[in-house]
Amino acid sequence: MSNSHLFLKPAFITTPGQNGVGRYVCQLQRVVLKFCMSHGSSRGVREFIETRLLEFVKESPEVAVYLKPRRHKSPIIKAEYLNGETQWVNARQFTDDEVLKWLNLLKSQSSNRSGVRLRKLMHTDFPSIQGPWTPYLFRDPQLNLARFPSEELSRPLHGTKTATQQLFEIFEKQKAAQNANSS
Amino acid sequence: MAKLLPGLLLSNFSKLSLNSLQNAPKFTACANSILSRAEKYSTQHTPYEIVNDDQDYGLPNDTIEKVNHQIAEKQQGRLFAVVQVCGKQHKITQRDVLIVEGYWPPECGEKILLNKVLVLGAAEFSLIGRPLVQQGLVNVEATVIEKTLSHTKTHFRKKRRKQYMRTKFFKIPQTFLRINSIKVSPDVNNPPEVQGLDNVIF
Repeated sequence: MSNSHLFLKPAFITTPGQNGVGRYVCQLQRVVLKFCMSHGSSRGVREFIETRLLEFVKESPEVAVYLKPRRHKSPIIKAEYLNGETQWVNARQFTDDEVLKWLNLLKSQSSNRSGVRLRKLMHTDFPSIQGPWTPYLFRDPQLNLARFPSEELSRPLHGTKTATQQLFEIFEKQKAAQNANSS
Repeated sequence: MAKLLPGLLLSNFSKLSLNSLQNAPKFTACANSILSRAEKYSTQHTPYEIVNDDQDYGLPNDTIEKVNHQIAEKQQGRLFAVVQVCGKQHKITQRDVLIVEGYWPPECGEKILLNKVLVLGAAEFSLIGRPLVQQGLVNVEATVIEKTLSHTKTHFRKKRRKQYMRTKFFKIPQTFLRINSIKVSPDVNNPPEVQGLDNVIF
Protein backbone atom coordinates (compact mmCIF):
# COMPACT_ATOMS: atom_id res chain seq x y z
CA MET A 1 0.00 0.00 0.00
CA SER A 2 1.35 3.32 -0.99
CA ASN A 3 0.59 6.37 1.03
CA SER A 4 2.03 8.93 -1.36
CA HIS A 5 -1.36 10.57 -1.77
CA LEU A 6 -1.22 11.56 1.91
CA PHE A 7 1.41 14.16 1.08
CA LEU A 8 -0.84 15.83 -1.45
CA LYS A 9 -2.46 19.05 -0.37
CA PRO A 10 -5.87 18.17 1.09
CA ALA A 11 -8.76 20.40 0.11
CA PHE A 12 -12.52 20.65 0.00
CA ILE A 13 -14.58 21.40 -3.10
CA THR A 14 -14.35 24.97 -4.29
CA THR A 15 -16.45 26.40 -7.07
CA PRO A 16 -15.72 29.84 -8.46
CA GLY A 17 -18.45 32.44 -7.96
CA GLN A 18 -21.40 30.08 -7.39
CA ASN A 19 -20.96 28.72 -10.89
CA GLY A 20 -24.07 26.98 -12.15
CA VAL A 21 -26.48 28.55 -9.64
CA GLY A 22 -27.78 30.91 -12.30
CA ARG A 23 -25.99 29.90 -15.45
CA TYR A 24 -22.82 28.02 -16.26
CA VAL A 25 -19.71 30.03 -17.15
CA CYS A 26 -16.74 28.35 -18.79
CA GLN A 27 -13.73 29.03 -16.56
CA LEU A 28 -11.03 28.67 -19.20
CA GLN A 29 -9.96 32.09 -20.42
CA ARG A 30 -7.23 31.40 -22.94
CA VAL A 31 -5.10 28.61 -24.28
CA VAL A 32 -1.65 28.92 -25.87
CA LEU A 33 -0.39 26.12 -28.06
CA LYS A 34 3.42 26.37 -28.20
CA PHE A 35 5.04 24.15 -30.80
CA CYS A 36 7.95 23.78 -33.26
CA MET A 37 7.38 23.96 -37.02
CA SER A 38 10.02 21.35 -37.86
CA HIS A 39 10.58 18.97 -34.93
CA GLY A 40 9.01 15.50 -34.82
CA SER A 41 7.81 15.85 -31.23
CA SER A 42 5.41 18.61 -32.34
CA ARG A 43 3.94 16.60 -35.19
CA GLY A 44 0.68 15.79 -33.42
CA VAL A 45 0.16 19.40 -32.37
CA ARG A 46 0.79 20.57 -35.95
CA GLU A 47 -1.66 17.99 -37.26
CA PHE A 48 -4.22 19.14 -34.70
CA ILE A 49 -3.79 22.76 -35.76
CA GLU A 50 -4.16 21.87 -39.44
CA THR A 51 -7.21 19.65 -39.12
CA ARG A 52 -9.14 20.13 -35.89
CA LEU A 53 -8.32 23.48 -34.35
CA LEU A 54 -11.00 25.45 -36.23
CA GLU A 55 -13.64 22.97 -35.13
CA PHE A 56 -12.54 23.32 -31.49
CA VAL A 57 -12.62 27.12 -31.71
CA LYS A 58 -16.11 27.09 -33.20
CA GLU A 59 -17.35 24.81 -30.42
CA SER A 60 -15.88 26.99 -27.68
CA PRO A 61 -16.34 30.68 -28.48
CA GLU A 62 -15.59 31.68 -24.86
CA VAL A 63 -11.96 30.49 -25.07
CA ALA A 64 -9.22 32.55 -26.79
CA VAL A 65 -6.77 30.25 -28.55
CA TYR A 66 -3.25 31.49 -29.35
CA LEU A 67 -0.59 29.75 -31.42
CA LYS A 68 3.08 30.35 -30.68
CA PRO A 69 5.61 28.64 -32.94
CA ARG A 70 9.12 28.46 -31.50
CA ARG A 71 12.18 26.68 -32.76
CA HIS A 72 13.52 23.37 -31.47
CA LYS A 73 11.56 23.03 -28.26
CA SER A 74 9.02 20.43 -27.18
CA PRO A 75 5.39 21.51 -27.53
CA ILE A 76 3.28 22.53 -24.55
CA ILE A 77 -0.33 23.55 -23.98
CA LYS A 78 -0.68 26.46 -21.57
CA ALA A 79 -4.07 27.27 -20.07
CA GLU A 80 -5.13 30.37 -18.18
CA TYR A 81 -8.26 30.28 -16.03
CA LEU A 82 -10.59 33.08 -14.99
CA ASN A 83 -9.26 32.94 -11.43
CA GLY A 84 -5.76 33.79 -12.70
CA GLU A 85 -4.30 30.30 -12.36
CA THR A 86 -2.21 28.86 -15.16
CA GLN A 87 -1.58 25.25 -15.98
CA TRP A 88 0.59 23.74 -18.64
CA VAL A 89 0.69 20.31 -20.18
CA ASN A 90 3.74 18.86 -21.86
CA ALA A 91 2.46 17.81 -25.29
CA ARG A 92 5.64 16.05 -26.45
CA GLN A 93 4.95 13.20 -28.88
CA PHE A 94 1.18 13.69 -28.52
CA THR A 95 -1.11 12.62 -31.31
CA ASP A 96 -3.82 15.04 -32.47
CA ASP A 97 -6.42 12.98 -30.56
CA GLU A 98 -4.49 13.41 -27.35
CA VAL A 99 -4.13 17.15 -27.89
CA LEU A 100 -7.90 17.45 -28.35
CA LYS A 101 -8.58 15.36 -25.24
CA TRP A 102 -6.31 17.51 -23.08
CA LEU A 103 -7.78 20.70 -24.50
CA ASN A 104 -11.28 19.47 -23.65
CA LEU A 105 -10.14 18.59 -20.13
CA LEU A 106 -8.62 22.06 -19.64
CA LYS A 107 -11.81 23.61 -20.99
CA SER A 108 -14.08 21.73 -18.59
CA GLN A 109 -11.94 22.40 -15.51
CA SER A 110 -12.31 25.49 -13.35
CA SER A 111 -8.73 25.59 -12.11
CA ASN A 112 -5.65 23.44 -11.93
CA ARG A 113 -6.94 20.44 -10.02
CA SER A 114 -3.72 18.40 -10.04
CA GLY A 115 -1.75 18.16 -6.82
CA VAL A 116 -4.85 18.51 -4.66
CA ARG A 117 -6.62 15.67 -2.90
CA LEU A 118 -10.32 16.24 -2.32
CA ARG A 119 -11.33 15.29 1.21
CA LYS A 120 -15.03 15.11 0.49
CA LEU A 121 -16.90 14.47 -2.72
CA MET A 122 -19.76 16.79 -1.83
CA HIS A 123 -20.33 20.23 -0.43
CA THR A 124 -23.39 21.58 1.33
CA ASP A 125 -24.18 24.79 3.21
CA PHE A 126 -27.22 23.15 4.82
CA PRO A 127 -26.02 19.99 6.54
CA SER A 128 -29.32 19.20 8.26
CA ILE A 129 -32.91 20.11 7.53
CA GLN A 130 -34.87 18.01 10.02
CA GLY A 131 -32.28 18.60 12.75
CA PRO A 132 -29.24 16.51 13.60
CA TRP A 133 -29.64 13.15 15.29
CA THR A 134 -29.30 13.07 19.06
CA PRO A 135 -29.48 10.09 21.41
CA TYR A 136 -32.82 11.44 22.65
CA LEU A 137 -34.47 11.38 19.22
CA PHE A 138 -37.65 9.28 19.28
CA ARG A 139 -37.10 8.48 22.98
CA ASP A 140 -39.88 8.87 25.47
CA PRO A 141 -39.46 12.01 27.62
CA GLN A 142 -40.56 9.82 30.54
CA LEU A 143 -36.98 8.54 30.57
CA ASN A 144 -35.96 11.81 32.24
CA LEU A 145 -38.04 10.91 35.26
CA ALA A 146 -36.78 7.34 35.61
CA ARG A 147 -35.51 6.31 39.04
CA PHE A 148 -32.43 4.13 39.17
CA PRO A 149 -31.91 1.29 39.81
CA SER A 150 -34.84 0.52 37.54
CA GLU A 151 -35.79 -3.05 36.86
CA GLU A 152 -37.33 -2.31 33.48
CA LEU A 153 -34.35 -0.36 32.18
CA SER A 154 -31.86 -2.92 33.46
CA ARG A 155 -33.21 -5.86 31.51
CA PRO A 156 -31.88 -6.56 28.01
CA LEU A 157 -33.66 -4.64 25.25
CA HIS A 158 -34.44 -7.50 22.94
CA GLY A 159 -34.11 -10.53 25.20
CA THR A 160 -36.04 -13.67 24.38
CA LYS A 161 -38.79 -14.80 26.72
CA THR A 162 -37.83 -17.26 29.42
CA ALA A 163 -39.55 -20.63 29.70
CA THR A 164 -41.30 -19.45 32.88
CA GLN A 165 -42.69 -16.39 31.10
CA GLN A 166 -43.89 -18.53 28.21
CA LEU A 167 -45.61 -20.93 30.64
CA PHE A 168 -47.25 -18.00 32.38
CA GLU A 169 -48.54 -16.70 29.06
CA ILE A 170 -49.98 -20.10 28.11
CA PHE A 171 -51.60 -20.32 31.54
CA GLU A 172 -53.14 -16.85 31.15
CA LYS A 173 -54.47 -17.74 27.70
CA GLN A 174 -56.02 -20.94 29.01
CA LYS A 175 -57.61 -19.02 31.86
CA ALA A 176 -59.05 -16.47 29.47
CA ALA A 177 -60.42 -19.22 27.23
CA GLN A 178 -62.03 -20.98 30.20
CA ASN A 179 -63.61 -17.73 31.34
CA ALA A 180 -64.99 -17.12 27.87
CA ASN A 181 -66.42 -20.66 27.70
CA SER A 182 -68.03 -20.49 31.14
CA SER A 183 -69.62 -17.10 30.51
CA MET B 1 -55.06 -2.67 -12.63
CA ALA B 2 -57.01 -3.87 -9.61
CA LYS B 3 -58.96 -1.37 -7.64
CA LEU B 4 -57.16 -0.51 -4.44
CA LEU B 5 -58.22 1.25 -1.31
CA PRO B 6 -56.70 4.68 -0.80
CA GLY B 7 -54.72 3.49 2.21
CA LEU B 8 -53.27 0.62 0.23
CA LEU B 9 -52.47 2.92 -2.63
CA LEU B 10 -50.39 4.94 -0.26
CA SER B 11 -48.53 1.92 0.95
CA ASN B 12 -47.94 0.76 -2.61
CA PHE B 13 -46.34 3.91 -3.90
CA SER B 14 -44.92 5.94 -1.12
CA LYS B 15 -44.98 5.78 2.60
CA LEU B 16 -45.61 9.02 4.34
CA SER B 17 -44.53 9.84 7.83
CA LEU B 18 -44.98 12.94 9.87
CA ASN B 19 -42.03 13.47 12.13
CA SER B 20 -42.54 16.81 13.71
CA LEU B 21 -42.73 16.26 17.45
CA GLN B 22 -46.19 17.75 17.80
CA ASN B 23 -47.73 15.78 15.01
CA ALA B 24 -46.01 12.48 15.74
CA PRO B 25 -48.60 9.71 16.04
CA LYS B 26 -48.76 7.99 19.39
CA PHE B 27 -48.21 4.29 19.54
CA THR B 28 -50.84 3.29 22.02
CA ALA B 29 -50.12 -0.43 21.73
CA CYS B 30 -47.24 -0.33 24.20
CA ALA B 31 -47.55 3.15 25.62
CA ASN B 32 -47.30 2.04 29.20
CA SER B 33 -43.66 1.04 28.81
CA ILE B 34 -40.81 3.54 28.91
CA LEU B 35 -38.97 1.49 26.33
CA SER B 36 -41.82 1.56 23.83
CA ARG B 37 -40.18 3.99 21.40
CA ALA B 38 -36.82 2.27 21.61
CA GLU B 39 -38.48 -1.01 20.80
CA LYS B 40 -40.40 0.60 17.97
CA TYR B 41 -37.20 1.86 16.32
CA SER B 42 -35.02 -1.16 17.09
CA THR B 43 -32.97 -2.85 14.42
CA GLN B 44 -34.73 -6.15 14.89
CA HIS B 45 -36.43 -7.58 11.85
CA THR B 46 -40.09 -6.81 11.35
CA PRO B 47 -42.34 -9.73 12.21
CA TYR B 48 -44.42 -11.21 9.41
CA GLU B 49 -47.78 -9.59 9.04
CA ILE B 50 -50.92 -10.90 7.42
CA VAL B 51 -52.39 -8.09 5.35
CA ASN B 52 -56.11 -7.76 5.51
CA ASP B 53 -57.44 -6.20 2.30
CA ASP B 54 -60.52 -4.77 4.00
CA GLN B 55 -58.56 -2.93 6.63
CA ASP B 56 -57.28 0.58 5.92
CA TYR B 57 -53.61 0.68 6.82
CA GLY B 58 -52.88 4.17 5.57
CA LEU B 59 -52.45 7.31 7.53
CA PRO B 60 -55.58 9.37 8.12
CA ASN B 61 -56.38 11.44 5.06
CA ASP B 62 -56.04 14.71 6.90
CA THR B 63 -52.31 14.05 7.30
CA ILE B 64 -51.91 13.85 3.55
CA GLU B 65 -54.13 16.89 3.16
CA LYS B 66 -51.92 18.80 5.57
CA VAL B 67 -48.83 17.90 3.57
CA ASN B 68 -50.50 18.81 0.28
CA HIS B 69 -51.68 22.07 1.79
CA GLN B 70 -48.20 22.89 3.04
CA ILE B 71 -46.72 22.25 -0.41
CA ALA B 72 -49.45 24.22 -2.18
CA GLU B 73 -48.98 27.20 0.14
CA LYS B 74 -45.18 26.90 -0.16
CA GLN B 75 -44.76 26.63 3.60
CA GLN B 76 -42.64 23.49 3.46
CA GLY B 77 -39.32 25.36 3.68
CA ARG B 78 -36.09 23.90 2.42
CA LEU B 79 -36.38 20.46 0.90
CA PHE B 80 -33.84 17.69 0.79
CA ALA B 81 -33.80 14.56 -1.30
CA VAL B 82 -31.90 11.33 -1.53
CA VAL B 83 -31.15 10.64 -5.18
CA GLN B 84 -29.29 7.86 -6.88
CA VAL B 85 -26.76 8.97 -9.48
CA CYS B 86 -24.41 6.53 -11.19
CA GLY B 87 -25.07 3.81 -8.63
CA LYS B 88 -24.44 5.96 -5.59
CA GLN B 89 -26.95 7.63 -3.32
CA HIS B 90 -26.53 11.23 -2.27
CA LYS B 91 -28.44 13.35 0.20
CA ILE B 92 -28.84 16.71 -1.50
CA THR B 93 -30.52 20.04 -1.09
CA GLN B 94 -30.67 23.14 -3.25
CA ARG B 95 -27.27 24.74 -4.11
CA ASP B 96 -25.27 21.67 -3.10
CA VAL B 97 -22.33 20.50 -5.15
CA LEU B 98 -21.74 16.81 -5.55
CA ILE B 99 -19.15 14.83 -7.45
CA VAL B 100 -19.98 11.85 -9.60
CA GLU B 101 -16.99 9.59 -10.08
CA GLY B 102 -16.19 7.54 -13.14
CA TYR B 103 -16.96 7.99 -16.82
CA TRP B 104 -20.22 9.89 -17.23
CA PRO B 105 -21.33 11.38 -20.57
CA PRO B 106 -23.05 14.70 -19.59
CA GLU B 107 -21.03 17.73 -20.71
CA CYS B 108 -20.30 21.00 -18.92
CA GLY B 109 -23.23 23.40 -18.80
CA GLU B 110 -25.87 20.76 -19.44
CA LYS B 111 -28.94 20.73 -17.22
CA ILE B 112 -30.18 17.34 -16.15
CA LEU B 113 -33.08 15.93 -14.18
CA LEU B 114 -32.27 13.49 -11.42
CA ASN B 115 -35.36 11.32 -11.38
CA LYS B 116 -34.32 8.43 -9.16
CA VAL B 117 -35.54 9.99 -5.94
CA LEU B 118 -35.58 7.64 -2.95
CA VAL B 119 -36.54 10.08 -0.22
CA LEU B 120 -37.89 13.59 -0.18
CA GLY B 121 -37.88 15.46 3.09
CA ALA B 122 -38.88 18.82 4.50
CA ALA B 123 -38.70 20.11 8.05
CA GLU B 124 -42.06 18.60 8.96
CA PHE B 125 -42.66 15.67 6.64
CA SER B 126 -40.82 13.03 4.66
CA LEU B 127 -41.89 11.09 1.60
CA ILE B 128 -40.21 7.72 1.60
CA GLY B 129 -40.19 5.79 -1.66
CA ARG B 130 -40.32 2.04 -1.82
CA PRO B 131 -37.91 2.10 -3.45
CA LEU B 132 -38.63 5.24 -5.48
CA VAL B 133 -40.94 8.15 -4.87
CA GLN B 134 -43.69 8.34 -7.49
CA GLN B 135 -42.28 9.53 -10.82
CA GLY B 136 -43.16 13.12 -11.67
CA LEU B 137 -44.01 14.07 -8.09
CA VAL B 138 -40.52 15.35 -7.30
CA ASN B 139 -38.43 17.39 -9.71
CA VAL B 140 -34.69 17.60 -9.00
CA GLU B 141 -32.72 19.76 -11.43
CA ALA B 142 -28.93 19.89 -11.64
CA THR B 143 -26.25 21.53 -13.79
CA VAL B 144 -22.93 20.01 -14.74
CA ILE B 145 -20.37 22.66 -13.77
CA GLU B 146 -17.06 20.92 -14.10
CA LYS B 147 -15.41 17.80 -15.44
CA THR B 148 -11.92 17.03 -14.19
CA LEU B 149 -9.68 14.20 -13.11
CA SER B 150 -9.03 13.17 -9.53
CA HIS B 151 -5.56 13.26 -7.95
CA THR B 152 -3.16 10.54 -9.04
CA LYS B 153 -3.96 7.34 -7.21
CA THR B 154 -1.40 4.61 -6.78
CA HIS B 155 -2.11 0.95 -7.22
CA PHE B 156 0.77 -0.97 -5.69
CA ARG B 157 1.02 -4.75 -5.55
CA LYS B 158 3.81 -6.78 -4.09
CA LYS B 159 4.31 -10.44 -3.31
CA ARG B 160 6.98 -11.17 -0.79
CA ARG B 161 9.92 -13.38 -1.77
CA LYS B 162 8.50 -13.82 -5.28
CA GLN B 163 10.27 -10.99 -7.13
CA TYR B 164 6.87 -9.56 -7.99
CA MET B 165 6.13 -5.86 -7.71
CA ARG B 166 3.74 -3.76 -9.83
CA THR B 167 2.97 -0.08 -9.53
CA LYS B 168 0.19 1.55 -11.51
CA PHE B 169 -0.98 5.13 -11.47
CA PHE B 170 -4.43 6.23 -12.44
CA LYS B 171 -6.85 9.12 -12.24
CA ILE B 172 -10.62 8.89 -12.03
CA PRO B 173 -12.85 11.21 -14.10
CA GLN B 174 -14.97 13.40 -11.86
CA THR B 175 -18.11 15.36 -12.72
CA PHE B 176 -19.24 18.23 -10.51
CA LEU B 177 -23.00 18.69 -10.25
CA ARG B 178 -24.70 21.77 -8.89
CA ILE B 179 -28.22 21.14 -7.57
CA ASN B 180 -30.41 23.95 -8.91
CA SER B 181 -33.79 23.12 -7.48
CA ILE B 182 -35.85 20.51 -5.73
CA LYS B 183 -39.57 20.87 -6.35
CA VAL B 184 -42.61 18.85 -5.25
CA SER B 185 -46.09 19.11 -6.64
CA PRO B 186 -48.96 19.15 -4.12
CA ASP B 187 -50.25 15.85 -5.40
CA VAL B 188 -49.12 13.41 -2.71
CA ASN B 189 -50.94 10.09 -2.59
CA ASN B 190 -52.65 10.63 -5.92
CA PRO B 191 -50.76 8.35 -8.32
CA PRO B 192 -51.90 8.02 -11.93
CA GLU B 193 -53.74 4.89 -13.02
CA VAL B 194 -50.88 3.65 -15.18
CA GLN B 195 -47.30 4.01 -14.00
CA GLY B 196 -43.84 3.17 -15.27
CA LEU B 197 -44.51 4.07 -18.89
CA ASP B 198 -42.84 7.51 -18.80
CA ASN B 199 -39.59 6.33 -20.40
CA VAL B 200 -41.00 3.60 -22.58
CA ILE B 201 -41.01 4.05 -26.37
CA PHE B 202 -43.65 2.06 -28.23
